[in-house]
Amino acid sequence: MIDFHLDRASGVATYLQLVHQVKHALRLGLLRPGDRLPTAKDVVARLAINPNTVLKAYRELEREGLVVGRPGMGTFVERTLGGASPAARARLHADLSRLALDAREAGLDQEDLEALFASVLGDTYREEIA
Amino acid sequence: MVWLTLRQHRMQLLAMLVLLLGAGALLLFSGLEAQGYAAAHAPPGCPGQQDVCGEVNAGLADRYDAVYLFVGMLPLAAPVLVGAFWGAPLLAREYEQGTNKLAWTQAASLRRWLTVKLALLATAVTVSGLVMSAMVSAWLPGFREAKGDTSFANAGVFSMVGVSPAVWWLFAFLFGAASGTVVRRVLPAMAVAVLGVVTVTFVLFNLRDTYAEPVRLVTTHYETALDRGAMMKELTWLSPSGVESALPPFDVCSMPNTQRGAIEQETCLFEKGYQRVFYHHPTSRFWRFQWTEAGILLAGALPLGGLTVIRTLRRRN
Amino acid sequence: MTPALEATGLGKRYRGGWALRDLSLAVPEGRVVALVGPNGAGKSTLLHLAVGLLDPTHGTVRAFGEPVRQAGVAFMAQDKPLYDGFTVAEMLRFGRTLNPGWDDDLARNRLAELEIPLRRKVGRLSGGQQTQVALTLAVAKRPRLLVLDEPLADLDPLARQDVLRALMSTVAESGMTVVFSSHVVADLKDTCDWLVVLNRGRLQVSGDIDELVAGHRVLRGPVEAADAIADRLPVIAHERTDRQATLLVRSAQPVPDPRWHEHRVDLEQMVLAYLRDPGSSALPRPALAALGKDDRPWSG
Repeated sequence: MIDFHLDRASGVATYLQLVHQVKHALRLGLLRPGDRLPTAKDVVARLAINPNTVLKAYRELEREGLVVGRPGMGTFVERTLGGASPAARARLHADLSRLALDAREAGLDQEDLEALFASVLGDTYREEIA
Repeated sequence: MVWLTLRQHRMQLLAMLVLLLGAGALLLFSGLEAQGYAAAHAPPGCPGQQDVCGEVNAGLADRYDAVYLFVGMLPLAAPVLVGAFWGAPLLAREYEQGTNKLAWTQAASLRRWLTVKLALLATAVTVSGLVMSAMVSAWLPGFREAKGDTSFANAGVFSMVGVSPAVWWLFAFLFGAASGTVVRRVLPAMAVAVLGVVTVTFVLFNLRDTYAEPVRLVTTHYETALDRGAMMKELTWLSPSGVESALPPFDVCSMPNTQRGAIEQETCLFEKGYQRVFYHHPTSRFWRFQWTEAGILLAGALPLGGLTVIRTLRRRN
Repeated sequence: MTPALEATGLGKRYRGGWALRDLSLAVPEGRVVALVGPNGAGKSTLLHLAVGLLDPTHGTVRAFGEPVRQAGVAFMAQDKPLYDGFTVAEMLRFGRTLNPGWDDDLARNRLAELEIPLRRKVGRLSGGQQTQVALTLAVAKRPRLLVLDEPLADLDPLARQDVLRALMSTVAESGMTVVFSSHVVADLKDTCDWLVVLNRGRLQVSGDIDELVAGHRVLRGPVEAADAIADRLPVIAHERTDRQATLLVRSAQPVPDPRWHEHRVDLEQMVLAYLRDPGSSALPRPALAALGKDDRPWSG
């Protein structure tokens, strides 16, 4: 079960924080298809937020096809994110590790590499972010 | 709703119960003790008006006076307490503590809330007054021969028998309630209630002998001619030529300087043809006076109750 | 759909003058409404009118299309009045006696969860516990509309959070409409989805919070271009240095001029800007049409 938390100082809209946390959990495999998301009542009783905010977040996730609401039963995870197979994941992990070592030998520190990575990501996924 | 009223006012109800039980115990004890005393000490035919009864009459009168210290306080004290502790806080406390905002936003209407409270407490206070009256009325006859019938002539006793306590207490309750809706704070409302009830008491006590045209009795034998429990309004002298004056003539018989002298002067004046005039209300007017006073008080209580209801129901502020 | 709360031309005059003037608003059902305004703005007056504790001088106020006294409205007044001499259990009995729709299980479960002893006298509870008891009394009536006057005032941050959590889970469960007033905007940010701003007895803002936030933006740019913006868009607040101007404008669309940098507006910032400028207002169009000077419709 996912445990939501809020970063009130972040300036990110509350419902988006919830959406991001569900997606993050899906990516890390903490939530799997068939899992039930906490009810709106459970979430608001913990976070003291408006129930409509939770419903809005769940609607957004539903719109993206990640979860599905079953009336009277709750909201269930429909599919996972980061859809690659475990083999592909392992290969990418190895590739990235090698790349990180290369970068260190080339004299880049952690922040340099992060900036470089972010810029590449920006170029690669531009249309999705916009 | 009945539960709520009883719960909110249980201290007042309890205090009233204690007062009634205490007064009942005192009056019962006094009555029985006086009866025992009379049975043990009274010569045949006593208590009564004969000279032989003097001693037992005095003994009974002492016992009466001791209890009267308490009973005689009640005509003023009881309405004051009822007005200050039953009436004044009824709405003033709700306003002061803001609980009116709680009580008046429930599903049960304000009208019903107020009706139950007023009706229940008004009934309780009226019934208590009637119980008090019944107890005092039961206690009085044991002293009637020795002390005379005081229930009409004595202002204090008159206020504790008949319907008097019931209407007085009801009036005081509504006076307090009305002052609570006007002032809306407990202590000032209590002060207003005390002041109001005391004022009305003094005014009515002084007006009582004007409830009817007094009977004019001209006599020289008032011991027998005059009703013993009559309420006296005025006492004058009537000269043989038919002139009425408040004071006896100073040049006909010698002026008294002792009590015995006063009796001698009176006898002297009677011999010279003077008579006494008694303007009085005979005891037969007891109920007429009771109902007149009840009418006056209820006529005052009605607008007070109306004021309470209107000021509470009208939500201007 | 019938609004949960609807005021039309509502006005209230006390002896000292008008507390509320010509107020018209409609709050949809199921909303959690924040009523915001400085002290003396008329918040309590509006709430007292909405629960039938006061009769209006002018206009009408209705809940779900019915007169408010018959509409199943619950109220918690500012000082959270309770009978101090009553035990908590007696307060529940009070609620049961005066409300046919009383849910005793709900009340008892709620208090049990909060670990508030039923046999304790109300006067001996902490401030937070008293608020919870008062809230329980209001909620156990199963109202369709719950009105709370400054429910969080005088509470420490922990109790504040507890009350909000309890309130929000009740809303999630029952779908009731809630209106609460506060002068601390931060309390309302995550809990409310509808904003009503009162200022000096007049309605300034009434609307969906997301839409209001989306409909306003902060612009930062050259001071010489500020007047051109002000000609086109309603400016709620502006700050100027000799070179730079920062404007809070009402506009649903971005400003195409590249000299201006746009920022998302923060709810608290927006509320404060309105309160500082009592002349401006953000109201649904029908209400806006009734206004005088500031009724220029903004361009989209």
